[in-house]
Amino acid sequence: MLLEVNGLTKRFGGVRAVDDVSWQMDAGQVRCIIGPNGAGKSTFFQMLVGRIKPDAGTIRFRDIDITRHHPFERARLGLVVKPQTLGVFGELTVEHNIQLCLQRVWRGAELDRQVADELDRLGLRAKARFAAKALSHGEMQWLGLGMAIATAPKLMLLDEPTAGMSSDETLRTADLIKQLATAGTSILVVEHDMEFVRALAVETTVFHDGRVFESGTMAEIEQNETVRRLYLGQRAVQKSI
Amino acid sequence: MLELFIFLYQFADAFALLTLSAAGLMIIFGMMGVINMAHGELMMIGAFGAARGFQAGLPLPLAILAGGLAATLVGLILERLVVRHFYGRLLYSLVATWGLSLILSQGALIVLGPSTQGIESNFGNFLVGDLSFSIYRIVLFGIAVGVIAGLWALFRFTTFGLQARATMSNADMAKALGIDTARIYMLTFGLGAFLAGTAGALFSLAAPVQPSFGASYTPIAFVVVVVAGSRNIIVGLTLAVVMLALVKTAVTINLNILGGYVAMLVMALLVIRFSPNGVADWLQKARSLIKKPSTGR
Amino acid sequence: MTFSLINGRIEPGSSKLFWFGFCVLLAAAVVVPHLVGRYTLLNLNSFLLMTFLAIGLAFLWGFCGILSLGQSAFLGIGGYAYGVIAINLAGVPGQTGLAFVGAIGTTVLSALLVSWIIFYGHLRGVYVSIIMLVVTLLFETFLNQTAGPQWTIGVASLGGNNGLGRFSGAIQELPSLKLGAGEAAVLMIGKSKTFFYVTLALVVGCYLALRLLVNSRIGVALAAIREDPDRTETLGYDVRLLQTFAFCIAAGLAALSGILYVSWGNFITPSVFGVTSNILPVIWVAVAGRRSLAAAVLGAAGLQWGSQALALQGEYALVIQGALLVVAVLLLPEGLISISNVVSKYLGKSSNPNLEQMPQKGRDHAA
Repeated sequence: MLLEVNGLTKRFGGVRAVDDVSWQMDAGQVRCIIGPNGAGKSTFFQMLVGRIKPDAGTIRFRDIDITRHHPFERARLGLVVKPQTLGVFGELTVEHNIQLCLQRVWRGAELDRQVADELDRLGLRAKARFAAKALSHGEMQWLGLGMAIATAPKLMLLDEPTAGMSSDETLRTADLIKQLATAGTSILVVEHDMEFVRALAVETTVFHDGRVFESGTMAEIEQNETVRRLYLGQRAVQKSI
Repeated sequence: MLELFIFLYQFADAFALLTLSAAGLMIIFGMMGVINMAHGELMMIGAFGAARGFQAGLPLPLAILAGGLAATLVGLILERLVVRHFYGRLLYSLVATWGLSLILSQGALIVLGPSTQGIESNFGNFLVGDLSFSIYRIVLFGIAVGVIAGLWALFRFTTFGLQARATMSNADMAKALGIDTARIYMLTFGLGAFLAGTAGALFSLAAPVQPSFGASYTPIAFVVVVVAGSRNIIVGLTLAVVMLALVKTAVTINLNILGGYVAMLVMALLVIRFSPNGVADWLQKARSLIKKPSTGR
Repeated sequence: MTFSLINGRIEPGSSKLFWFGFCVLLAAAVVVPHLVGRYTLLNLNSFLLMTFLAIGLAFLWGFCGILSLGQSAFLGIGGYAYGVIAINLAGVPGQTGLAFVGAIGTTVLSALLVSWIIFYGHLRGVYVSIIMLVVTLLFETFLNQTAGPQWTIGVASLGGNNGLGRFSGAIQELPSLKLGAGEAAVLMIGKSKTFFYVTLALVVGCYLALRLLVNSRIGVALAAIREDPDRTETLGYDVRLLQTFAFCIAAGLAALSGILYVSWGNFITPSVFGVTSNILPVIWVAVAGRRSLAAAVLGAAGLQWGSQALALQGEYALVIQGALLVVAVLLLPEGLISISNVVSKYLGKSSNPNLEQMPQKGRDHAA
């Protein structure tokens, strides 16, 4: 079991944002978590990242109890996150952004080579010396994803990766994720965009009121009466929740 | 019994010192997140204004008011000219107001001279047992309590207070609702300056009035503000002042004045270490832990 | 695309023109002591020894995003520690060397304590800046009260506002740094050429070492932390440790200034903890430009020189410097060096992206 969550709970004031959630995923899987605003998926995500401390419960990653681990310790174990905001350092050059992800492993001439390779992979070689904020929005998204991938993570956490993307870019991102999965990276995506979630077509978990509500394939989820009522409205299916 | 009275008296004295020193700074910090490094100089201007006013023949309360108004005027000028450019850029606001503080304190040295005659006004003492206590200190305590109560009432019951609270909570939203946030900031800064100047004027009866007047009160004000945090002005200020006054009084009585100050600093550092947003924030978190959890919705 | 550490892209100034200017300036500096009188040399030495404080502040603020408004506290701790240890070791061979090491050690320890409060306490924003100021002002208040004979560390009398080692008219010697041993020993006293050359060598050494650091992998990590510490942590960096590291370096540099200060004048008073001592390095660095170590050094030396020239005219030096600070943050928040950036853009040279600032609403970009 790559990731095992047991009885995870978090309270804010009088509200149980995450209520006794148990969940797991295996290596080599791609999983998706969806749910309306306030369902607790963001809080759950932040607890996986290490930004929020749970009130109760445990998180095990690669058989190690990481419940008390700082975000950087989790990153070093291979639990890598690409946040909802771009995750790119606008003030630093594109080159330095990538170097930042690679320099804990490589150094010297080898580091230069790795950075150059990554720049080529992302098609950003020409803009290497630019400040990252000078890139277009789409390029920044790519850079952000590239940075997350560059560290060869064991499990990649993506928080709404297609936010602000066009339909075209959304589908390309879904493809990219499927490619990564084939190459062996395990991925957990928290998303809103139904088009993206459908394109991914992986086992999906629905959160509601801080609890795991339903789990299954996209087809099963969409068939579920209650899910339909909660998200999709009684009438026609909407693009996003 | 006498010891209790001494403790209460000293506590009241510390309470007054801390509250009056910090109130003006706290208002500005709570509203804009700006720590006005020229706060001490505004107090100094209040002290000078009151002293000069008194020398010119004004009765004491008016002299104090004159000091407060002088500081308000200077404060508003500083806000319009300099401070308002830095509301979104807090680190720069520290640096800019620090520059202003240097200009004001050194400028005062040049323009007003090294010192001026303070206000001679004896409120007299009262006796408890063999010991004599200053009535003025009690008056200051009363004023301090009045300031807190007054500020609470201001925020609670007036239009300005409502608009101010809205702006503090969510400035963009407040603007969208038609509140002139720039004006709120200006008025808040003016209020902060007024409180600083009045405090300086009040203290001028007890301390020599010189350009470095503010320097004795600035660190105290900073300590209070840092402990209070910006989450909730009234709660933060009151709680911080009570905590610090208790510590200061307890240590001063058992050790000495210096120990009292050191103890206050140590307490401030410990508070900030474990509650980085100040006590008001910590209180809010503590309350949320105690509240019975529900599943929401 | 190799990453040359000395000529990396984070510290600005890596063109041939820059290095040429650097060599010219250095050559001029080497010659100067032979051209001026002892009094001028005394002053030049006092300006030079302060540059460590400035470069440490610039490193901390401009490169790591940590604005500490009380850096002179570490200068004070370093100077006082040096004096106290030296007084207690009077007559011991290697007295000043041991005092030097002890002073740096003491300062670094205090920096670690402050780091525990600031970084491990997750302090953000203005609290970080204010904390050091509060600490330093209370140090000043405390030390000013220590004039009595009971205030000693070992045999060293704290002396209150008379200065370290002074009580009831008696003076305990605060020795200048002694280089070498026995007959060949040279003292770094305020008026000497030795002081100038040794300090100059230290300045150049520290500058080059810091340049190496900011352009290195650690430097890139620090630059990332400056912009977004939370994001940097999710990339696997122990942010708090790195911030502590940077803070200790800046504190150590300030302590170096403190030790040299005592060596220079053989006295130290609580005023080094005061507001003026703390605001001056902020003025130098803000006016010159915090994103450049070279600017910090030149700014510190230049503004001190200018202020002294002005002080001869009257009391306006501080008012003008205060005004300079206000004007600088209002009009040129990146400092004078940003003018060179504009100039080189005008001349068509590629500009250092780290010098450009785009105002971003809602985000504090004074880091």
